Amino acid sequence: MRISHLLLASTLLCSHLARGDPWQYELLLMPSAQAVGTFHRQAPVTEIVDEVVQIDTLFTVQRGPFKLFGEFLLSDHEGDLERFQLGWQATQDTVVWIGRYHQPTSVWNHDHHHGQYLQTSITRPFVDEWEDLGGILPQHFTGMLIESGHKAFGSWRLRTAVAGGLAPIITPQGLEPFDLLHPDSRHHQVGFQGSVSLHPGELTESGFGLLAATDELPAIGLTAPPLPGLDHADLKLLGAFGIYAAAEWKILATWYHARANLCSPVSSTGENFGVGYVEAERRLPHDLTGFLRWESSADAGESIYLKLFPMFVRQRNVLGLRWDFVSHQALTLQLSDTNTLDGHFSDIRLQWSAAFL
Amino acid sequence: MRRLLTITLILCLAAPARPASQAVVLVVRADSPVRELDSVSVRKLFLGLPVLINGSPLHPLRNRSDALLDEIFLQQIVAMSQSNYDRQILIGVNRQGWLRPTEYHRLSDLVDALKADSSSVSFMWQRDVGHNADIRVIRVLWGD
Repeated sequence: MRISHLLLASTLLCSHLARGDPWQYELLLMPSAQAVGTFHRQAPVTEIVDEVVQIDTLFTVQRGPFKLFGEFLLSDHEGDLERFQLGWQATQDTVVWIGRYHQPTSVWNHDHHHGQYLQTSITRPFVDEWEDLGGILPQHFTGMLIESGHKAFGSWRLRTAVAGGLAPIITPQGLEPFDLLHPDSRHHQVGFQGSVSLHPGELTESGFGLLAATDELPAIGLTAPPLPGLDHADLKLLGAFGIYAAAEWKILATWYHARANLCSPVSSTGENFGVGYVEAERRLPHDLTGFLRWESSADAGESIYLKLFPMFVRQRNVLGLRWDFVSHQALTLQLSDTNTLDGHFSDIRLQWSAAFL
Repeated sequence: MRRLLTITLILCLAAPARPASQAVVLVVRADSPVRELDSVSVRKLFLGLPVLINGSPLHPLRNRSDALLDEIFLQQIVAMSQSNYDRQILIGVNRQGWLRPTEYHRLSDLVDALKADSSSVSFMWQRDVGHNADIRVIRVLWGD
């Protein structure tokens, strides 16, 4: 039985446990359209797609403490069930999810997910890029995620997230997560992630925390792997992040230290590299928001693991302006200057994004 | 006679210059398991966060039957502007699949919804509660 069918059946089963509670629904549509122009191009690979029209659909069906929650992304180059989770609100501060989830060690993705409207910049930091867009870290897992929050140090709040699930595999096209709509779990191994963070209040975004993850990523069908006979990569991540969010300013910084062990039947090699970014956003008069982002890496040039990802961004500067011209609709202009492992390019992007609830 | 005039003048000055005082109250169905709800829980509830009583989530109903109530809701209950509130609701749906409070633009519809669900929580003018035995007041949220 497909996992998606299993989750639907579980929802119906759980609904009996919430007898007396009404069924409740929510639907959120986040469409966007983007045009990209690339110039000063000296890199063999720049962008997979130059135009993206997409609609991100989120739905919730809830009865009592049980909910079915999903995110389906339809664009001019893909259609995918990005998240599909059955949730149980175990206590007021703890929710247990099973299904396909976004791993919690990516602060950016765990906050913004796929909808373009809710992120200020058009692009996400490359370290948090999705697998099908050349991303280097696993983002989609299928398994269990437990999110919790507790009071700590007086009015502060300790938030935790732990998760374990089927990790992506490495293919010639990059990382490939387990697909709920076309399930094939033959090669996928279980990976684990965890994050812990402290926040000065329950409803504030400001805070800081630590991240950790360990994944075994089997290599399947590589014709010219960077390590002859590559069988799998053991990837371990340790990270730290901080967010300062006030009325006019928002500053977000994340750094990951990665340890990759590349294993073949005859040998294995270990390496370390680092990746991270700092983004600053400033609200301006007339519903404008300016933003700057600096992405960087350490020891990336020597990494064999990163050679698996030809679009990997070694360093990037991003500058842009967003205009929320009417309620729930925004126009964003963004300029980027990017250095990959093999070259350099610049790009300009224009995006319309919206949210309809 | 002079003394009487002075007393009359003082009474006139002390008399209220506006209609009788108003209050916005937090209300539930009469048999609701909700006995009390502090202001932080009320704020969380109307921001879409889960607030549980006996393991079941409460259902917030937003009363939009008049403009002044909207203003009081934003200033006193959720303590943010309408645009920030809208964004907070979007973030909750996007991150956690939280449900936004159901909105009612007519008081009669709100009262019907409140009566139909013992887990629902709403707010209204105290004068609108009147002597309705099906509705119980939990606390005063705002008074002028």
